[in-house]
Amino acid sequence: MEKYDKLEKVGEGTYGKVYKAQDKVTGQLVALKKTRLEMDEEGIPPTTLREISLLQMLSQSIYVVRLLGVEHVEKNGKRLLYLVFEYLDTDLKKYVDSYKKGPNSRPLPSRLIQSFLYQLCKGVAHCHSHGVLHRDLKPQNLLVDKDKGILKVADLGLGRAFTVPLKSYTHEIVTLWYRAPEVLLGSTHYSVGVDIWSVGCIFAEMVRRQPLFAGDSELQQLLHIFRFLGTPTEAKWPGVSSLRDWHDYPQWKPQSLSQALPNLDSEGVDLLSKMLEYCPSNRISAKEALDHPYFNGLDKSQF
Amino acid sequence: MEFDFDLENPLAGVDHDTQQLSTALLLGSANPDEPLTLFAVESDHMSFLPGALDQFSARCNAHSLIVQVQFSNNLDPSLAYLAVNYVDRFLAKREIPREKTWIVRLLAISCLSLASKMKNIDLSPADLQSEEGFIFDSQTIWRMELLVLSTLEWRMRSITPFSFLRFFLSYLPLEIRLHIQALKAHASQILFKSQNEIKSIEFKPSVIAAAALLVAARELSPSHFLPFHSALLNCEYLNSETLTECCAAIDGYISTNCIEAASNGCDSGRSALTPVTVLDHCRAGLESGKTVGSASDGCDAKMCRTLMRRPT
Repeated sequence: MEKYDKLEKVGEGTYGKVYKAQDKVTGQLVALKKTRLEMDEEGIPPTTLREISLLQMLSQSIYVVRLLGVEHVEKNGKRLLYLVFEYLDTDLKKYVDSYKKGPNSRPLPSRLIQSFLYQLCKGVAHCHSHGVLHRDLKPQNLLVDKDKGILKVADLGLGRAFTVPLKSYTHEIVTLWYRAPEVLLGSTHYSVGVDIWSVGCIFAEMVRRQPLFAGDSELQQLLHIFRFLGTPTEAKWPGVSSLRDWHDYPQWKPQSLSQALPNLDSEGVDLLSKMLEYCPSNRISAKEALDHPYFNGLDKSQF
Repeated sequence: MEFDFDLENPLAGVDHDTQQLSTALLLGSANPDEPLTLFAVESDHMSFLPGALDQFSARCNAHSLIVQVQFSNNLDPSLAYLAVNYVDRFLAKREIPREKTWIVRLLAISCLSLASKMKNIDLSPADLQSEEGFIFDSQTIWRMELLVLSTLEWRMRSITPFSFLRFFLSYLPLEIRLHIQALKAHASQILFKSQNEIKSIEFKPSVIAAAALLVAARELSPSHFLPFHSALLNCEYLNSETLTECCAAIDGYISTNCIEAASNGCDSGRSALTPVTVLDHCRAGLESGKTVGSASDGCDAKMCRTLMRRPT
């Protein structure tokens, strides 16, 4: 760790504090993340080994924040691992906020939304093709290089070592806003659809400059979703009423997506509706999304 | 989530929580981009040993120790295979001084330990060095594990010839498809046996995979060879000349094996992987090394034999 100068704390990641730091020799900026796991008598714990090596492999994609290295530290007899990631100057939450507040308040350019969504789908498709679900996609976990217009997926919640806790490190409640309905309803056999749902919520948030479903409890979150998309029925989502946490909810009719998102063109509305499909197996995949006509106007050769 | 490592699926995190996804990935062509990714990154997982014979004898000592542990613990050959892959890649990047044979032992043990963790197989430090007088403590093994990890840049999901078997089997002409399981099993045996061959690290993993399948096809039935060979040559990632060279290298290795097996009075399948034959091959490799201009004086082969510990 002597290799790096810690510059400032840039946030509280899912697993602990994240520092902006600088390589003393090369001057390269990095993000340092301490893992919560301590080394035990048997050396590096197997789960940690498998997860970090998977992260290493996933981060070969330019749409995933690059893992530059792993550093180990011995402090007060404790052994700790730090993950060293490439540093990007901002995240999508701060970026969207910059369009929301102040005298410069204006919608995000639609070209930019298109490009960010495309890069997000690329990153998610990459993870899914390697059998890895992100499970905690949200604007704070998407890092942005403002000048280059680049977006990368960060904070892959791989598993036990990096489990998404109910409360984050600072006891701040982990957001439910991007959580898929099947997870909220207690399904344990969820799959790639959970990430696509989150992508849909993030897509809508870029367009609206505010969260699509901002619930403060699991029930409130579900009610937000149902009020907007209509209460799901067995016809729309076979099996929904047998999910663990299913109850008889008020019956709402779906609202019109295009009216709720007047800034979004019809192709965009169509893609969003496919991402927010109730039945997980009918939800569009990340790979299919990349071929959706919404992206037709985008110069894909740059990606 | 566990993400156990599978030699045949290095790119897929086998996540028990998302069976649906994993099963889709494991069964066939759910991911058409996968071969592309494999071919693009396989070179990062290769190990070119520096010419120094010091490294050569270190390699053969580490290999024989790994095979020895494999035998005494009745381990899955794929675990030993992965450990040997780590050893080779480590030695390609770091030199071990000739006199420090204990480091070679420590390296072999640490690579076995890492491989067992990647494959989620329980193997304690005691299992790894039960037959040795001198036992490394867990602290030492732990430090060596970290050194191996940083040297290999935590790329522990090795891309090996096994990663390409499924891909090349898709080129199998329809009339041979019936034998696909037998062919894959036989090619796997060839891969396990030829890992100790020094020549095997000169070729890309994909080329070795294709060559092993071809040799296996020919051994199962000579008539399979030509149609499969011409089908494989349609693959844009393969070059006819390199493929022929690699087949010849595997052939050479197998025939040496057969002669030894015959002289040892046992079948080649069993004899191929004993620590004794590993060392014999090291010796053969060392001797052939001379012909390509390395400065062998025969001492290393002798050292190999001396250091060799036969399984009890």
